Amino acid sequence: MLNKYRKVMLIDDNEVDLKINSKIITISKLFDEIILCKSGEEGLSYLNNHIDDEENLPDFILLDIQMPEMDGFEFLEVFKKFPKPLKDKCLIAILSSTLDFGDIKKAEASRYVIKLLKKPLFPKELEEVLNRYLIN
Amino acid sequence: MNAPTVRVLYIDDEENNLHAFKASFRRQYEIYIANSAAEGLKILQNVSVHVVIADQKMPQTTGVEFFKNIAETYPDPVRILLTGYTDIEALADAINHGDIYRYITKPWNDLELHNSIKNAYDAYKTKIDLRNKIAELEKTNNELNRFIYSISHELRAPLVSTLGIVNVVKLEGLFDENEYWRLIETCSNKLDYYIQKTLQYYKNNKNISEITPIDFSKVVPELIELYSYVDKETNFHVDIKQEETFYGDAFRIEVILGNLISNAIAYQKESEENKKVNITVSVNRSSAEITISDNGMGILNEHLEKIFTQFFKSKTNHGSGLGLFIVKEALNKIDGKISVSSDTTDGTTFIITIPNVK
Repeated sequence: MLNKYRKVMLIDDNEVDLKINSKIITISKLFDEIILCKSGEEGLSYLNNHIDDEENLPDFILLDIQMPEMDGFEFLEVFKKFPKPLKDKCLIAILSSTLDFGDIKKAEASRYVIKLLKKPLFPKELEEVLNRYLIN
Repeated sequence: MNAPTVRVLYIDDEENNLHAFKASFRRQYEIYIANSAAEGLKILQNVSVHVVIADQKMPQTTGVEFFKNIAETYPDPVRILLTGYTDIEALADAINHGDIYRYITKPWNDLELHNSIKNAYDAYKTKIDLRNKIAELEKTNNELNRFIYSISHELRAPLVSTLGIVNVVKLEGLFDENEYWRLIETCSNKLDYYIQKTLQYYKNNKNISEITPIDFSKVVPELIELYSYVDKETNFHVDIKQEETFYGDAFRIEVILGNLISNAIAYQKESEENKKVNITVSVNRSSAEITISDNGMGILNEHLEKIFTQFFKSKTNHGSGLGLFIVKEALNKIDGKISVSSDTTDGTTFIITIPNVK
């Protein structure tokens, strides 16, 4: 079930976390390709550049909340305006270390966020989410 | 001789009174006089006055009308009304609508008026001081909120990264090659635990409480799932009898049950083969009674009274001294009760009662 070619996009301003999480995903072989973005803007411009290029769109986006300039919630606001096929393909989960009640509630309230994952990322947890939402 | 300058405005259409007033009080106060409400208003616009005295009987605008007019534009100066004995109606009106501090009958007695002005100034100062204090407290409170947010984020984020690195080391199979990894993991987990408890304590201390319906058959298994993540050896037996809707403070109830459940897991006997925890919940219209009992290491009799105090730690356990303290604090906020019985052979039982708030 995991042999379909799949891409994941990581959006996080923290380079250590980008490195850790891509390592975890590589080792656990949950995705074939990882797109690393150091900011929400970078993620959005990647999506914009591949808007009609379904092959290269990520199947799954792991989005940090607290980032300078554009935070995770602002990213979601812009993401909302993408065409439906893109939104249907790119599922989003929040990946954050926040314990802030407001953040958690806001993340749960967003219709594009399928799950709130807490750092550190455990392969098993990620796999459970993927099995639940990404099996086509 | 550093008495504050008290600025007094006196409005009266009788010039004689104005001059008499000025003559009597000019040494004690900074006096402003006006012979009509309109003139008085002009002074108010230019001078920050502390006490306003107005005569009731004036042509065009009466004293009470004047006070009513300035109630919104100049709410700070404290008002004193000068009036004759006969004006009972004006007096009632002044008290009800003019927000006056005191009334003085004419002709005034200098000493009485002097005392009234002094008291009025004190009232003014108290009002302003209180307002400044409130503004100051609001500022401090906002800063504290920001501080807590940054603890929950800026301080915790790098810590969680560290735990992430340990995770990668485990996945790469290098964890057991060097005992330092385990030590780093232990320290990081401990620090994370303290940060989380600090946040729980702080959030509990805030008086906000959000009452929502609580479904114990959902909450309890979720908490067990959350806390048994690290240790799957303990068997839970859960029995929930909830036919009534229960309303309560979800955050505090989760803090209470979460701390007790994680304790029940953490303080098992290592030698015990059948580690178990029984949780029963029974809800009726007025309250929920929850029992959490384990067959763990138990609590020494002489420690039972101290376990709810902050930073109490026994020699044998490795706790933080915060968990049960927070449980007790959270219960206090929602009018709940807790009792405990324990011995070192059979384990510990906590019984909690939480009122149903609806």
